[in-house]
Amino acid sequence: MKLNRALMRGRALPLLVWICGLLVLWEAVSWWLLHVAKTPLAQSKLPYVHEVALTLWQYSGTLLREGGATFGNAGVGFLIGALSGVLLAVLMSLSRTIEQLAFPYAVASQMIPILGLAPIIYGIVRDEQLSRIIISGYITFFPVALNMLRGLRSVDPSALELMHSYAAKPWAVYWKLRFPAALPGLFSGLKIAAPLAVTGAILVELMGAQRGIGVIMLRNLYYGPSHTYMFWSTVLVGALLGMASYWLMSLVERLVAPWQPEFRPQGGGR
Amino acid sequence: MDSNTAREFPSSNNVIAPDTEHSGDPWKFLKWLNPGFVLPLLAGALFLLLWELQIFHRIFDLKKYQLPLPSAIAEAMRDNLSLLLSYTGYTLTEAVLGMLIGSGCGFLIALAATVWPRWGGGSLTMVAALNAVPIVALAPIMNLWFGDGIGSRAAIVTATTMAAMAINAYKGMAAVDPLALDLMHSYAAGKRAVFRHLRIQNSLPYVFTALKINATASMIGAIVGEFFFSSRGLGYLLSNSIKVAKMPLGWACIVLAAIAGVIFYLVVERLEKVFIKWHPSRRA
Repeated sequence: MKLNRALMRGRALPLLVWICGLLVLWEAVSWWLLHVAKTPLAQSKLPYVHEVALTLWQYSGTLLREGGATFGNAGVGFLIGALSGVLLAVLMSLSRTIEQLAFPYAVASQMIPILGLAPIIYGIVRDEQLSRIIISGYITFFPVALNMLRGLRSVDPSALELMHSYAAKPWAVYWKLRFPAALPGLFSGLKIAAPLAVTGAILVELMGAQRGIGVIMLRNLYYGPSHTYMFWSTVLVGALLGMASYWLMSLVERLVAPWQPEFRPQGGGR
Repeated sequence: MDSNTAREFPSSNNVIAPDTEHSGDPWKFLKWLNPGFVLPLLAGALFLLLWELQIFHRIFDLKKYQLPLPSAIAEAMRDNLSLLLSYTGYTLTEAVLGMLIGSGCGFLIALAATVWPRWGGGSLTMVAALNAVPIVALAPIMNLWFGDGIGSRAAIVTATTMAAMAINAYKGMAAVDPLALDLMHSYAAGKRAVFRHLRIQNSLPYVFTALKINATASMIGAIVGEFFFSSRGLGYLLSNSIKVAKMPLGWACIVLAAIAGVIFYLVVERLEKVFIKWHPSRRA
């Protein structure tokens, strides 16, 4: 445990330096654009960090509320999509026929620009709440299903034989062996899908909605240079929502499946 | 998020490796008769038939102008074929250009992170964070920087493809066989030689995995980038068709984008087969 903490400190310092360095660089380039290069729309291109931070602080209530609306909808879609994905994966692992039917489509759908469907779905449903949920769910569905299926398949054969020798019932095999084995796969699927679900929700908002972070992003973009700090704040909030969704999944993974090798403290590398 | 979790995102397992085909099989035509091929084909045909017969419209209470019939979509494709094809080419150009730049940058970041692990690890975490930034938030900013030409979409694609490459390539360079590393050391090989003969080789399968992820991601990036500030390309035509209620044309864009995406993916896969013949996963 102690070792782990020391490692964290060893890793956290460079990261901190990176972040600070980037912020300083950003501020410097912003100043340079404004005063030296005299670029048109300099503050729109790269605003001062402190101004954006100030705006973030000033309008934190609004940003939180709208961001929450986006995040909530994306979250509902994400959960529905994830559950359906898990269900499909279990069905595919149970039945060869279902797998042969669904698997090629699941793989092909990964090669298709899914987000391109956002305007179409919005056109069909005409309800922002519902279309946000549908898009987020749809984007989540396939990565989760495919990764979960691989996880269910990744069971150690000798463990299966052991279960057979105990005359375990099929559901016991699933519950005690396959599901725990599938958790790492499931979580890599969830971690891929979570930021995508947020992206999908914001995209639907940009198509024309009433609430959500995408709406104020678009509005402030149209107001032009006078609202540039607010616009950048919304962009940052969108970025933070995406990252937060990923971190949330990583956190849940650590709680639910802590035995994975990645979480073990590592020795010095060469 | 520590670099451990960052390192396994997006892990190599969101691309399913296809089964290697047995070439030179005299019974090749039998392959078309196995259930693994026929079943999904039948299901797809049935799906299209139900759609064409308006069964879905009855179930979900949809009007024809909301969800056009496949025949109408095919007609829209036929009528606007030259326009659609030129726009597909335009969008693909953006995607390929951005993907090449992004993957190149990602590879360089992975190199740097392997050479200087202590400071490079931080940069990997930063790149992984960039990966979680919604594309739509990047689109307007890139538009401000690079105007509304091809450059802004290439920049969006660059930003979205960098992370997958950086993380996967780093994994490949780090996951060398310790015995091979010991051998290099016993030959008194310097850092440079270890990279040239061992790490780069070892990272190739991972690099191709990242390229396959990026092939899809770059198409999405290019199309979403075209939604808002563009006067050309599939994404532009798609959002525009919907605004003026030309749904069949919008769907035609989706179909073409899907075809282009699949072709792009298959090209990368073919390249992979050519470049890493020696890899165990490629042996029949």
